[in-house]
Amino acid sequence: MLAQISRRELSGKAAAEGALVHEDTTSRLFMLSSVGYFFIVGIIALIIAAKFVIPDLMGTVPWLTYGRLRPLHVNGMLFGWLLACDMSLTYYLIPRLCGVKLWSEKLGVATAVIWNIVVLGAVVSLILGYNQGLEYAELPMPLDILVVAAWIMYGANLFMTIAQRKYSAMYVSIWYVMGTVLWTAFVYLTGNFATMFATGVNQANLNWMYVHNAVGLIFTPIGLALAYYYIPKTSGAPLYSHKLSMIGFWSLAFVYVWTGAHHMIHGPISQWLQTISIAFSVMLLIPVWSAVYNFFTTIKGQWHQLRDNVPLKFLMSGVVFYLLTCFQGPMHSLRVVNAIVSKTDWIPGHAHMAVLGAFSFFAIAGTYYTLPSLFGRPLFSQAVANWSYWMFMIGGLGFFVTLWLGGFWQGWQWNNPAIPFIDTVVALKPVWTIRLGSGVLMFTGIALFAYNVLATALGVGSEREGGSHVG
Amino acid sequence: MLGKADTSAIWAFAGALGLFAIGGLLTTVAPPLIDTSWAKPFENNDPAKGPTGKLKPYTPLELKGRAIYVREGCWYCHTQQTRTLLADTKRSGWRGVDSPVSTPDEFVYDAPHMFGTKRTGPDLSRVGGKYDEQWHRTHFRNPRDLVPGSIMPPFPWIVDDPEEFKAMVAYLQTLGRAKDWRPANDYEQ
Repeated sequence: MLAQISRRELSGKAAAEGALVHEDTTSRLFMLSSVGYFFIVGIIALIIAAKFVIPDLMGTVPWLTYGRLRPLHVNGMLFGWLLACDMSLTYYLIPRLCGVKLWSEKLGVATAVIWNIVVLGAVVSLILGYNQGLEYAELPMPLDILVVAAWIMYGANLFMTIAQRKYSAMYVSIWYVMGTVLWTAFVYLTGNFATMFATGVNQANLNWMYVHNAVGLIFTPIGLALAYYYIPKTSGAPLYSHKLSMIGFWSLAFVYVWTGAHHMIHGPISQWLQTISIAFSVMLLIPVWSAVYNFFTTIKGQWHQLRDNVPLKFLMSGVVFYLLTCFQGPMHSLRVVNAIVSKTDWIPGHAHMAVLGAFSFFAIAGTYYTLPSLFGRPLFSQAVANWSYWMFMIGGLGFFVTLWLGGFWQGWQWNNPAIPFIDTVVALKPVWTIRLGSGVLMFTGIALFAYNVLATALGVGSEREGGSHVG
Repeated sequence: MLGKADTSAIWAFAGALGLFAIGGLLTTVAPPLIDTSWAKPFENNDPAKGPTGKLKPYTPLELKGRAIYVREGCWYCHTQQTRTLLADTKRSGWRGVDSPVSTPDEFVYDAPHMFGTKRTGPDLSRVGGKYDEQWHRTHFRNPRDLVPGSIMPPFPWIVDDPEEFKAMVAYLQTLGRAKDWRPANDYEQ
């Protein structure tokens, strides 16, 4: 019966689209700006990867030093690109799932303006060295306040839309978006404001609660909202189980927040808190597997579509990366594994698989699928989209796998104190060179993606044959 | 219950927030109340209980140096924690003496905390007193002059500003010094 609800949701949505005219201005603004930041911050990413290979590169210019560009890369990708693109797509899909227009396009446009002020402000303050010194919470206080304002406006807009919905049953994507809005508020306040009133280990504990849940309770639920919407949409296959998606949702709500202290396993934080974080980290497998099983079973019998359905390629590759990264996470938290991989180059391999391989893939898929509807013309080029997929895939795999192997090897070396530290640095140089090469491939993927989006938005050669399969 | 939650946004709102709040409160608000050692500065006068010493608040000069450490993002590549791993106590050690592991009471005056997540360069939790000012001067100007193979960026603008350089070194020399862990007392100034 519950599976039928999801079927009804999907077909009901299609009917509503014919009757309603969505403005989508907010969605378009967020999408174009986020793709622009994806490209610009991609260049920063290449520079910092190159600095591992050529340490003197741009080394005498203070604002181009590694320590100032790295936070720009992290914040730019997380908030300039990924979260903004996720927001764009939720501004698109929530009104459609509710069968009504977005509550206020004006409020949405204002939100987009504030969001862009935050991102541009972040660029300036970070390269000038105004850094609060807490990971993911580097932005100075005035920008933090603007983020909160923008988030309240975003949340209010979506909640009002949901409150006015035409269908009483809520599709699972609505659940995840509501969860994201709520949890993000508290997680962000903890990481950016509560930390100001704490020091030492207490502050670190709040910081890790935020860092972990920025991924676990912001990017995970909003990414899953996209996956739950776009996998059935792009494949035409109804979601396998509504109930299973609910189990995933409620277990995510309960389990994720406990795990922050696993960032300090073996570190100067109470052992009992480490043990709690490990226990809950392992429990993360429940929400992860319930989502992944649902996606795989939904697509059962439809795998042949991956041959020429580019958004579905991104989505299902994203699901595989999501499963892998969420298997790694709990395993890293186990003390024996942590003693080897923690603080090594394995960790950026793991983190990039989550943020790029899983959640950015969902966002890219959503963007490719949604663009034609937002701009009223077919996608500029399916071939370019396909090439962007392979660049991301090959570059991404090269990046992840190289850093895992390199990081694991590095960890083994560190655990043998007879090896001088500098030797473990020199040993990693081939790894960092391959990482830079993989980065070039990934950046090519970004460039092709951005070009495709821009060309579609501007209507380059729109009279020409070919284009989208989107129906 | 699941059926009811399906159609009521209020129910969803309350449930999502409630479940989150349990773990949220128990892992952020409760731990410092349970484990009071997080907020009590290190002090030990009894050699039988391990290294003696006392954690002192930072001086204005050291705080200035710390701000530079934060500004330049040193903490993206250097951790400040000697973990409960044998290898860590050896690597943080000096001249054959193993370092004590880091404990919460050594970091009470740290804000922002600088524990770090990535060890591209060596851990600095016990670097205080290992190298003298001249070593740091040369090393900041070009790390590869002293450590061939290093990939640390050069920081000439710190060395070229005598005030900043003095502050930076003053801060680095405090790291790990709350515990008086080297019997030979061979700390550089």
